[in-house]
Amino acid sequence: MTAPERPWERRFDAALGFAASVILFALMIVTFVDVLGRYLFNHPLRGAFEGTELMLLVLIFAGLPLVSHADEHVTMDFIDHMLGARGRAVVVRLAHLACALTFLGLAWLIWLKAGKISAYGDTTDVLRIAIAPFVYFMTLMIALSGLIHAWKMFAPGSPSSGAGAPTT
Amino acid sequence: MIEALVGLGVMMLLAFVRIPIALAMGIVGIVGYAYMRDWNWAVAFATAQTKIYETGRNYTLSVVPLFILMGSFVTRAGMSQELFRAAYAFIGHLRGGLAMATVMACAGFGAICGSSIATAATMAKVAYPSMKKLGYADYLSTGSIAAGGTLGILIPPSTIMVIYGIITETNIGKLFAAGILPGILATFLLCVAVAWVTWRDPEAGPRGERASWGERWSAFKGVWAVVALFALVMGGIYFGVFTATEGAAIGATGAMFFALARRVLTWKSLYASLVESARTTSMLFMILIGALIFAEFVNITSMPGDLTKFVSRFELHPIVVVAAIMVIYVILGTAMEELSMILLTLPVFFPIIVHLGFDPIWFGILIVVVVEIGLISPPVGMNLFVLSTLIPEVPTRTVFRGVIPFVIVDIIRLAILVAFPAISLYLPSLMK
Repeated sequence: MTAPERPWERRFDAALGFAASVILFALMIVTFVDVLGRYLFNHPLRGAFEGTELMLLVLIFAGLPLVSHADEHVTMDFIDHMLGARGRAVVVRLAHLACALTFLGLAWLIWLKAGKISAYGDTTDVLRIAIAPFVYFMTLMIALSGLIHAWKMFAPGSPSSGAGAPTT
Repeated sequence: MIEALVGLGVMMLLAFVRIPIALAMGIVGIVGYAYMRDWNWAVAFATAQTKIYETGRNYTLSVVPLFILMGSFVTRAGMSQELFRAAYAFIGHLRGGLAMATVMACAGFGAICGSSIATAATMAKVAYPSMKKLGYADYLSTGSIAAGGTLGILIPPSTIMVIYGIITETNIGKLFAAGILPGILATFLLCVAVAWVTWRDPEAGPRGERASWGERWSAFKGVWAVVALFALVMGGIYFGVFTATEGAAIGATGAMFFALARRVLTWKSLYASLVESARTTSMLFMILIGALIFAEFVNITSMPGDLTKFVSRFELHPIVVVAAIMVIYVILGTAMEELSMILLTLPVFFPIIVHLGFDPIWFGILIVVVVEIGLISPPVGMNLFVLSTLIPEVPTRTVFRGVIPFVIVDIIRLAILVAFPAISLYLPSLMK
């Protein structure tokens, strides 16, 4: 249903997908090694807890533009059955506009938050990792999702009407 | 009270015009919060910032992607095949035996996978062709797969239990333990439904060949990996060896090794599993964050308090209240996406349940069961859509018709679980 992918779209999908995969894999291994270390060697992995926290943050927000790009946000699609193709196209484009504005607004909020965290110079407790860059990364990813929705609003071809991926 | 209802109405309206549910909840949550604080946007924005940041950076929540990943690995490892073969070897010769075997294989798969949709999808690939070959009626085969698939979230691990546990601050390990006996009950009742269907229409589920004890034994040996993985993860969590989060990491790593050992996991499919799980995680967290922002708004309105007062004023018997909530859920579940339904309503219903003195673990199991029913009740049931997509040659109408007997036994099961809380609470009560 989606318009054919352009090469840059594929590259962008692949780059974020790769980043998210590496993080998820690391998340699994770090927790696994932490438990193993605790029981077998009586020595848990140093900083596993805070590492997991930051990795989860990156994982969730690296995935966000991918979800937006694939139209996988959970959406109700009752209205599709009530409208014709033209009406549907209008509604889908307006919904993309609303998503774009919301994500850009949220990006602005998180940008402010990142500024504060950066000003305080917050770091994690054990490994002393600076937190601000991670929050700037969140900002970037949320803004990117907003831009994707803005682009989808104007993108040629029939707007896709993904009903979202399964959650349960 | 009025503010919360208006908020809910606006949220539904936004969702109706195709704004993603996560964003609809977030928008209404922020605006509603500002309104409740006399249009003080600064506090509303600060709340949203905190919820987004802290939900993303939360150690306990890493349990979500890890269980999703485990499910993805076991799906690729082809463990559903052996489960089905084993169940078939034991009961395939009964009338409707293949459909019962499907239900049992779903239960087994549910013990290592926390998603109903994944369970139904993987069983559709394995069980449908066998049932077709034996001449099963499409309505029975699709109905049993759709209904059996819902066992994925009742039998631990379970994404819905994890999310319920996080939102209501209920112990996830105890919720998992609580799901086991209701899961066995559910498996039994779904088999009863199959028996009932084939009693009325014997043509729908002809008998298969009887397997010899040697064949049965060899098929049974094939499921050792599933048993080992379940025992390791759930045993570890149940006996307090590790937390649910750690159990999820161990389960995911273990599932990966099984898939590697079977030489079904290539670099390509490993990567596909990871990306797919990452995306699902991201999507789930957006809904979670949206719901948490919405809940902040609902919590500062008078709605939860008003409802609690309402319930006390009429001196309704507590069980009547629970029954009424269940009826609301079953009705909502026919038309709504289940996860959003739960996240939206919990801030309102959960305080009432606690106020009435009920056990949050028991209520959690009831919530899982209403989600299960919602997943297979037409017209909007995710499992039904999954089957329609995977088996396009069967008309959606047939899928809808076939699932009705299973919906009925599910509602009976819900009533049993409401009436006998011990079924849910016995196992967690033994945990320390």
